[in-house]
Amino acid sequence: MKIRRRSSNLLIEPPSSATGDIAFNLIVFFLVCASVQPDSGRHQTLPRSEETEQKEEKDKNIEVVVKRQVALVNGDPVQPAEFQARLAALLAGKPRPEDKVVVVKSDDDVPYHFWMTVTSQIEDAGGIITLQIEEEREVQVP
Amino acid sequence: MKIKRRATRADVPSMAMGDIAFNLLIFFVILARAQDDSHLQWTPAEATNIETAGHSVVSVLIDSDEKLYLNGQPIGEASLESKIDELLRDFAVGDRTVLLKVHREATAMRFEPVIEAISNVGGELVHIVEEDRDE
Repeated sequence: MKIRRRSSNLLIEPPSSATGDIAFNLIVFFLVCASVQPDSGRHQTLPRSEETEQKEEKDKNIEVVVKRQVALVNGDPVQPAEFQARLAALLAGKPRPEDKVVVVKSDDDVPYHFWMTVTSQIEDAGGIITLQIEEEREVQVP
Repeated sequence: MKIKRRATRADVPSMAMGDIAFNLLIFFVILARAQDDSHLQWTPAEATNIETAGHSVVSVLIDSDEKLYLNGQPIGEASLESKIDELLRDFAVGDRTVLLKVHREATAMRFEPVIEAISNVGGELVHIVEEDRDE
C-alpha cells in the first residue's frame, strides 16, 4: 500500500514584526562602519604671525618662493626632485632652531597640492616653516 | 444585580516599535549630518609621512568652489579667527587640534589666510591629506 507523503502548502514567512528591528540593526552597523574611519593628515607647526616692516637688509634665513609650478630657494629655481636634498644641505650647517627657519612666500595662484609638497619637503629636510604673507593696505590719497 | 464593567486592555502595538526606532534614528542621523562637513565636495591633496589626526573640535574646510566652512557651516574669512578662538578657548595646549581640509586645486590666495588665522589663535594645525603612494 502506498502511503502518500503529506505535502504542506503552508508558506513560511519571516515574522513581519522583525523587519523594523532588522532595518534598525543594519543602520547601526553601517553607521558604526562609517564613523570608525579616522582622519589622517600631516601635522604642521607654524609660529604666530607678527607684523614686520620690510627690511632692506637680507635675512640670513633660507627663503623659499613658491610659484605655480616651481619653487625657488634663495632665488634659484630648484627641480622638485632635488628640492629636499638642496634644503637639507643648506640646513646642515645650522644647528640652532632659529637658524632653521625657512621663510615661505607663495604666489596667489599656487595650488594647495603643490604648496603641500613643497612645505612637506621643507619639514622633512629639517626646516621650520614661517609664512610670509603680504598685507594689503588701502591708502587714501587726498 | 451587579454588572461587571468589562476591562479593556489598551496596548501599544509592539509591531510598531521597530519602525519608531528606525524613524528616530533617521532623525538623529540627519541632525548630526548638518553639523559635520561630510556633505561638502573636496578632493584631498597627497603628502608623505601622514599620521592619524586624532580628536578635534574644529574643522576648517575649503571646498572645490573655494568656499570656506567652519565645522560644516559657511563662514567668512574675516570672522574665522575669532570663531576658532571661541571654540578652542577651553582647550589646553595639546588638545587644540584644528583639522584643515583644503581642495587640492584651491589657491594660496584662499588657504594662506586660513592657515594664518589658525596659527594666530594657537591652533595645532593638521592638514587632512592622503598618503602619497608614488613616492
